[in-house]
Amino acid sequence: MPFALPFDMTSLDLLMAIAAAATVLLYLFGTARLGGYLATLLHGAALAVTVAMGLDLAAGAGAIPSSLRLTVLGQQLAWTLDGLGWFFLLLTTGAAFFSSWYMAGEWGRVQQRARIQHGTLALNVLTMVLLLSAGDLLGLFIGWEFVSWAAFAMMIQAGGPATQAAYRYMLYALAGAMALFAAILVVHGAAGGFGFDQMRAALPDMSTGMLWTLFALFAGGFGVKMALVPTHLWQAPAYSYTPGASSAFLNAVSARMGLFALILSLVKLIGFDTLAGLRIPMTGIESTDILAWVAAITMVVPTYIALMQTDARMLLTWHGIGQGGYMLLGILVATPLGVAGGLLHVFNYATYQMALILAVFAVIHRTGTADLDELGGLITRMPLTYVALLMGIIGLAGLPPMNGFVSKWMIYKALIVTQQPLLSIAAFVGTLGTILSVYKLIHNIFLGQLRVEHREIREAPWSMTLPMLVLAGIGFVTGFAPGLALSIVDQAQAAMGVALLPHHLGGVVLATGSLNMLWVVGVLVGAIGVGALIFYVLGNRRFETHQYDNYAGGHFLSADIRYHFSHEFYPGLARVIGPWYRGWVVRMEHGLGVLAEVSGDLWHGVFRAAYTPLYVLIVAVLGLFWAGGAGGFGS
Amino acid sequence: MTLLADLILMPLVAFVVGLLLVLMARRVRAKIERRVGPPFLQPVYDIVKLYAKKTQVSHGVMHDLAIMMLLGGFITAEIFLPVPGLDGLAEHGDLITLVYIMMVPMLGLALGVGSCANPNGSIGISRALTAMLAYDVPYVVVIVGACISYGTTNLIDIVQIQQQGGPATWGAATMPILAFAGLLATHGMLGKEPFEIYIAPAEIATGPMTEMSGKYMGALFVMQCFQLYTVGVLYTTMFLGGGENWLFFLPKVFAVIFISVAVTNVYGRYKTDDVIRWMWKWPTGIALVGLALVMVR
Repeated sequence: MPFALPFDMTSLDLLMAIAAAATVLLYLFGTARLGGYLATLLHGAALAVTVAMGLDLAAGAGAIPSSLRLTVLGQQLAWTLDGLGWFFLLLTTGAAFFSSWYMAGEWGRVQQRARIQHGTLALNVLTMVLLLSAGDLLGLFIGWEFVSWAAFAMMIQAGGPATQAAYRYMLYALAGAMALFAAILVVHGAAGGFGFDQMRAALPDMSTGMLWTLFALFAGGFGVKMALVPTHLWQAPAYSYTPGASSAFLNAVSARMGLFALILSLVKLIGFDTLAGLRIPMTGIESTDILAWVAAITMVVPTYIALMQTDARMLLTWHGIGQGGYMLLGILVATPLGVAGGLLHVFNYATYQMALILAVFAVIHRTGTADLDELGGLITRMPLTYVALLMGIIGLAGLPPMNGFVSKWMIYKALIVTQQPLLSIAAFVGTLGTILSVYKLIHNIFLGQLRVEHREIREAPWSMTLPMLVLAGIGFVTGFAPGLALSIVDQAQAAMGVALLPHHLGGVVLATGSLNMLWVVGVLVGAIGVGALIFYVLGNRRFETHQYDNYAGGHFLSADIRYHFSHEFYPGLARVIGPWYRGWVVRMEHGLGVLAEVSGDLWHGVFRAAYTPLYVLIVAVLGLFWAGGAGGFGS
Repeated sequence: MTLLADLILMPLVAFVVGLLLVLMARRVRAKIERRVGPPFLQPVYDIVKLYAKKTQVSHGVMHDLAIMMLLGGFITAEIFLPVPGLDGLAEHGDLITLVYIMMVPMLGLALGVGSCANPNGSIGISRALTAMLAYDVPYVVVIVGACISYGTTNLIDIVQIQQQGGPATWGAATMPILAFAGLLATHGMLGKEPFEIYIAPAEIATGPMTEMSGKYMGALFVMQCFQLYTVGVLYTTMFLGGGENWLFFLPKVFAVIFISVAVTNVYGRYKTDDVIRWMWKWPTGIALVGLALVMVR
C-alpha cells in the first residue's frame, strides 16, 4: 500500500468498509440535496482504493488478503483478491463511480426514490467485492447469491416490465444457484473441502463423468448471469427498464460477474488442459467447443434480435448479450491472444456500453421517450449527447478508431490463427449485424427530421453529459493506445495462469500480421484532417440550409409533415430474417416458457403430494446415480 | 522519408488509377450501348465542375464532417493497402484492419446522408447497409478462408506467398472456388446492377446522393474512384498474386473491375430482399464449399 492504514487494515478491508458504509449512508441520505455528490465521492474513493490495489498487484503483491473471516461447518472462509478479481473490481468501482456521477445532478433530483437507486447501487458494489474476492467455493457461492439478490433489488425498483423480467431472472438465477450448489457438493465430496487448492489437488483423481458434471454445472449455473443462449430471455427487459444510471451499471458490469465466475471455475480451477481432455467419445468434440458454440450463438442471435428492436434501451441491452458472447469466445480460444482479446473486450465494452446507455437515458430525460419511431433530428438540440452516442456506437460496432475494434480484432485474429473458420465467421457476422443496428439507433434518434415538439429541447446538463463524454474519451484513448488497457488485462491474465500476451502501447506484434493502433488512428485522424482541408479550401463557400427548407420528391417538406424514415428501418432485411425470427426465436421463447411452467408444476405437485415413498425413490435413484458417477462411469 | 513518400503517393496513385477505372467503366457502358463514350479527361472535368459550383448547400456540421470522414477513411485505407513498390503502413495493420477501415467512409456517408433529413436519402442508406450485410457475409467467408490458407493476415506476406511460384501459387489457382465466390461478392460490393438497390435512380431518387450537390457530390465522385481502386486492388492482392511491378499489377486490377462493369450492363435491379437471398445463397454457399476445401487441404 502506498499509504498506511489503521488497525492493520488491508486495502481490501478498506474497500469493503467503504462499500458497506456507502450502502448504509446512501440508503439513508441518498435523497438529500447533496446525496448524489456524497455517492460520487464514496464511489470515487472506492475507485481510488481499487487503483491503489492495482499498483500493489503490479508491483508483485500476488494477492491482497482481507481480515474478514467466517467459519461455516468447521471450515474457515477467507476473502482475498487476486489479479483476476481485481480486473473485474476495477470495472465495478469505475462503473459505480460514473453511474453515481451521472445521478448526482439534475437527473437524481427528478427521481422519485433516489435513495433506493443510490442504495442499491452501493449494495451491488459491496456484494460484487465479496464475490470477486471469494477465497473458496463456499465464499463464491455466498457472494454469488448476494450478487443475484442485489441485482434483483436494483431491477425491481422501477416496477413494470423490469420487475416481470427480474422475476424471470430470479427463476433462472435460483436454478443457476442450485447448479452451483450441486457443483460445490460434488467438489466437496471429492476434495473433502471447499478450498480452491483442495479442488485443484483433487482434480486428477476425478473421473471423466464427474468432470463433465462439474463442467455442465458451472457453465449452466454461471451462464445464466451472462444470459448465454438459451437462458438469454430475461436480460434485455430487466436491464432496459431499470432507471438510467442503474441500468448503465447493470449493463456494464453485472453480467460480467457471470463471466468472472466462469473464468474462475473453468479456467482457474479446472484449467484449459483438463477441459481439452474432456471429449465427447467418438467425435473429438471438446467440452470447450460446446461452450464456444454456445458463445457463438449468443454472439449472433441476440445481435439480430437487437436489430429488430424499436426501443433504444432494448436495442442496446440485446447487443450487450451478444457482446458477452465475444468475450467468452475470446477466452475459450485459450491462446494468450484470445484470452487477452476476450478480457480486453470486457474492459472496452464497459466503457462504450455505459456511454451509450447514459446517452440514451439523457435523451429520455429530455424527450420522455426511447421509442425509435418517435424521435429524430436531435443532433441540433443535443450535440454533446450525439457525440457521446456516436463514439459509443463506433466502439460497439467495432470500427477504428475506438477501442471496441482492438479487442474484436484480437478475437477474430485468435480464431483465424487457431484455424476455427466457422467461429471466426460467426464473429464477423455478429459485427455486421451490429453495424446495421447501431446506425439505426443513431439515425432514428439524432438524424433526420426534428419533430415539432422537440424544437425547444435543451442539451442534457453537464452532470450527465460529462460522465458519458469522459467514458467515450476513455474508449477513444484506449483505442488509440490499447497498450494502456492491455496492461490492466495482464493482471487478470497472469492470475488466470495463462501466458501473457507481449504488447506495446499501440497494440501487438505478431508473425501473422500485427496491429499498431498508434499508426491506424494517427493516420485516420490525419487523413480526416486532409479531408477537411480539401473540403474547406477547394470549391465555393458552403451555405447552410435549414432542415425545414428541404424538399423531397418534388414537394417541399414542412414541419407538420412527418417524413422521418424510421419505422421498420430495414424492411428488406426484415422480410428475409423476420420469418426466422418469428419462427425460431419466438417459438424457442415459448418453448422455454412452457418448460419452466411444466417443471414448476411438476415440482409443485411433487412437494404437494406428501408421498413419502416417492421421495425415497427419487433420493435412492439419485444416490445410485451419484455412486455410479463417483465410482467412475465413463472413466 | 520513404514512409512520407508512401503516405503521399499511395492515396494519389489510388485517386489517379481510380479516375481511369471510372473512365473505363463509362467507356465500356458506352460501347455496349453503341455510343462514343466520354473523352479521356471527362472524370476530371466532372470533379472540377462539381467543386466549382456556385451554390454549395450544407445540411449542418455532420453533413460536412461526413465528407471529411469519407475522404479520410479512403485515404487511410489506401495507405494500409500495399501495392508494388509502396508498402505504406501495411506492416502495422493487416487485412482485417483494412476491411474495417473501409467501413469508416461508409459510416461517414451514412451519417452525412442521415443528417440531410431526406427520406429518400435515409432509405438509400437503409438499403446500402442491407446490401453491405448481404455481400459481406460471403466476403468474410472468403477472407477467413484465404487467411487460413495463407496462414497470415499480413497483406505483404500474402502477396509474397503468391509470388513464390508464379501464377500457379496465386490464390485464384490454389483456391479457385473461394476466388470465384470472392468475385461475386466483389461485384455486390461495387453496387452495380443487379445489386444497385441503394442508388435506384427511378425509385428513390438515387438514394444517398439526393441531397448532395456541388462539392459534396464531388466528394462522392472521388469516393467512387477510391472505391473502385480499393476493391480491385484488394481482390488482386488476395487472389491474383498482387504484382511485381505496376506493369503486371494494373492490368489485373483493371481486369477485375472490367469483369464487373461488363456484366453489370445486362442486368436489371433486384429487390432488396432478393439481393440478400441471392448473396446468402449462391456466393455464400460457394464460398463455404471453397472454405471446406481449404480446411481439408
